[in-house]
Amino acid sequence: MAAAPLSESDAGSYLYGIVARDRAAPDAAGVDPRHAVVAVAEGPVAGLVSRVSLTEFDEAALPQRLADAAWLEQKIRAHEQVLDAALESGAVVPCRFCTVYRDEHDVRRFLAERADVLAAALARLDGCVELGVKAFAASTPGNAEATRAESGRAYLEARREEKQAREDLARSRAELVRDLHERLLAAAKDGVLLDLQSREASGRDSEMVFNASYLVDVTSRFEAELTAAAGDYDGVQLEVTGPWPPYNFVPEELGRP
Amino acid sequence: MSSRELDSYRSGQPAQLADVLERVLDKGIVIAGDIRINLLDIELLTVKIRLLIASADKAREMGIDWWQNDPFLSGENGSGKLEQRLRRLEEKAGLPTSSEEG
Repeated sequence: MAAAPLSESDAGSYLYGIVARDRAAPDAAGVDPRHAVVAVAEGPVAGLVSRVSLTEFDEAALPQRLADAAWLEQKIRAHEQVLDAALESGAVVPCRFCTVYRDEHDVRRFLAERADVLAAALARLDGCVELGVKAFAASTPGNAEATRAESGRAYLEARREEKQAREDLARSRAELVRDLHERLLAAAKDGVLLDLQSREASGRDSEMVFNASYLVDVTSRFEAELTAAAGDYDGVQLEVTGPWPPYNFVPEELGRP
Repeated sequence: MSSRELDSYRSGQPAQLADVLERVLDKGIVIAGDIRINLLDIELLTVKIRLLIASADKAREMGIDWWQNDPFLSGENGSGKLEQRLRRLEEKAGLPTSSEEG
């Protein structure tokens, strides 16, 4: 008898991430709450998979779905929660959102083809988590002098000062980024600078001046370094996020299309 | 190994959506051949990129603009590098080009 297909015609296999073979599936609702997350073992690794409706995750329908903020947030958070739960009990190599295979057979084929690189990645990530570090400046010095200056000379002078202040600020911020990144990197296994987020995205009134993520051994001195750093920069507030599944630290060959 | 020691950061609060988005949409394993359509690789790549762009549009509304600095996606600094690459590959594969699709 031929292998029974996993799915009826409308079901696909959503892949969240990859864990070691002996790991159980995390206890978390998947992107489609009707279908449980299971661990599909193949060789030394296992894929965390749940069934999804291909009508919902269809190629043609997806752009429209993704424009639906409520749908997007719900699914993205579900994706994240499965990986968070997996991270609680060991290393996980996270997949990008909406990695959908036709069926379990295709998932297995991927796991078999990339077994070596996936197993090596899991070994490297073992005992590590990703921590995000953001810094916010208390305030941005503004300068309304130029527009209020009465004489032409005063105007030009004010403009010059304003320009100087902007340059000084940019220089000191660049210095902060370099310095902070360097010392945190020294306490971490790896680290990357991320793009700064706008106020709307960060949900803060103050301006983001630093955004980075680090691969941190949970037994390392990273937290101590972070605590020390928090007191070393005037007018700057540090914020830590995570632990995250190590999205920013998947092997390079797996991190691009 | 457990990561419990570091759990305090989350303190029961859901993560900021922007922090999740910049990771889940932009990072992690990308598999060129993953999508369920079992045609040519190029088509799979196209699907993946359409997905990225659709996601980025949403993100822009939320004030995130990481992809604008990515010439591969923005088509600005790379003068449509992505478009050109897709068209070349599509022509090579004898597929209708992107611009001809509905």
